[in-house]
Amino acid sequence: MRLTLRALISHGRVARKMGLGPESRINMLRNLLTGLVRHERIETTTARADEVRFYAEKLVDYAKRGDTDEKAMKMASFWLTEKDLVPKLFNVLAPRFETHSKGYTRMARLPNRENLDRAKMAVLEYKGNPFPPLYPVKKDNELTLINQLLRGYREDRAQQLATKA
Amino acid sequence: MATRSACRALERRFASAAAAAAAARPSAAEVRSQRNAVFSREQARQRALYPRIEKIEVSMQGPGLDGTLLVMNRGMSTPLSCARHLTEYHVNNSVLALVDGEPWPLHQPLTDSCSMTLLTFKDSDPTLANQAYWRSCAALLGQVLQTAFKDDYTVELLSTPEVPVTSGAFCCDVALDPQLDSWTPSEESLRSLTKGAQQLIHKDLPWEPLEVAPSVALEVFSHSRCKQEEVEEKAAQHPKGRVTLYRCGDHVLLSAGPLVGRTGLCSQYEVTALHSLRQGPWGLHRRAQGLSLPLQLQAHHTVWRKLRQRAEKLVEVSRLEEAAPPSPPDSTPPPTSQ
Repeated sequence: MRLTLRALISHGRVARKMGLGPESRINMLRNLLTGLVRHERIETTTARADEVRFYAEKLVDYAKRGDTDEKAMKMASFWLTEKDLVPKLFNVLAPRFETHSKGYTRMARLPNRENLDRAKMAVLEYKGNPFPPLYPVKKDNELTLINQLLRGYREDRAQQLATKA
Repeated sequence: MATRSACRALERRFASAAAAAAAARPSAAEVRSQRNAVFSREQARQRALYPRIEKIEVSMQGPGLDGTLLVMNRGMSTPLSCARHLTEYHVNNSVLALVDGEPWPLHQPLTDSCSMTLLTFKDSDPTLANQAYWRSCAALLGQVLQTAFKDDYTVELLSTPEVPVTSGAFCCDVALDPQLDSWTPSEESLRSLTKGAQQLIHKDLPWEPLEVAPSVALEVFSHSRCKQEEVEEKAAQHPKGRVTLYRCGDHVLLSAGPLVGRTGLCSQYEVTALHSLRQGPWGLHRRAQGLSLPLQLQAHHTVWRKLRQRAEKLVEVSRLEEAAPPSPPDSTPPPTSQ
């Protein structure tokens, strides 16, 4: 092949290389995906989490077709290395995301790994998992002066509407 | 001893009543300066009770401060001076101090070794701070009303009712001169009262507390029969029979509970209404209402407008249930009359 600089500069190349080659990459993603389906929340490097995300959502789309579908079953059995997760995928995850059209996963950054490599870490989860939320909702203190005044205002309005109706 | 001071108080009261009836009514400025003079004298006397500096230990409680031990002076150091030893945030944001579980005004000197917590508006339970703030705003309103009218008209400040915060407005009961019985305040007059209050807020005057014996309080209010009755009421309610006076600028006032540290803590302040209540022993009782929010909890103008509209409605306070949960602020007649 032509030995040009183009081969060395990777501007605009979106496909990531992971592991030892394309087959190794797919195997790695398969393991990650199996872990995600089992635990519903996993911690990996940001690049791997980003790669798995695409496959995780596609898998759920296939699962929504139902386990009677031939293609869906083949996909599920290929991607999930632990075969006890195949029923979980079709009976738990697929019904959970029935109303969602896309966006079944959530990714959040974590502090860098403690090792020498200081790798960029991320947590990837399926929405609707039983764990506490990644971004905890901070409730406003009900007892501050302004909130008490607003509470009185709301009660007053409710009373007025009740007497009017 | 008690009877002698009571006799003296009675004598003073009758003498002052006779003097008031006989001589011409002293002008407002004279009354103010007299009260100021008595207050300053009593304050100096109380300070002189500690001629030598004695040290006390104050242990601070609070987020990030647990166990901090401060060595302060007895009878001279106030919770504000303890806050000054900490950070500027504590000085600007503390509203009230909790000394051994008791609410303590920020400018009142500490008398014993104790454990202290500084309360702010943004604690997890700011109920005490809110109540103190409401009381201080009502006291400020009373001060504005006292100085707003011309010298020809008398203004009698009646006791400020304890209103819960959810009722939407703080109130100050006042009895104006009989010549003003037919006067209803216009938008302009309410706005000028608001301006007066904003001037006081801008001056950032401290509310200096002073715990006195009832006889001294009766001497302070020797020109006002109504205030003297209030002093007796408060002295009867207090466990030790003492009365707490507060001074802001040159205005001396009575209050049911601790007040906030200084006027500069209020940022949004508006006098919303002046309603006429029934005819009472001191003339036509009127209720001045206002709305205010502190510097740390400012409201957006849309929210403020809605709250202000609500604050214009009359707030009903039933005399016997002042500490009860909020009564709905509609204009139904109160269940008990006075």
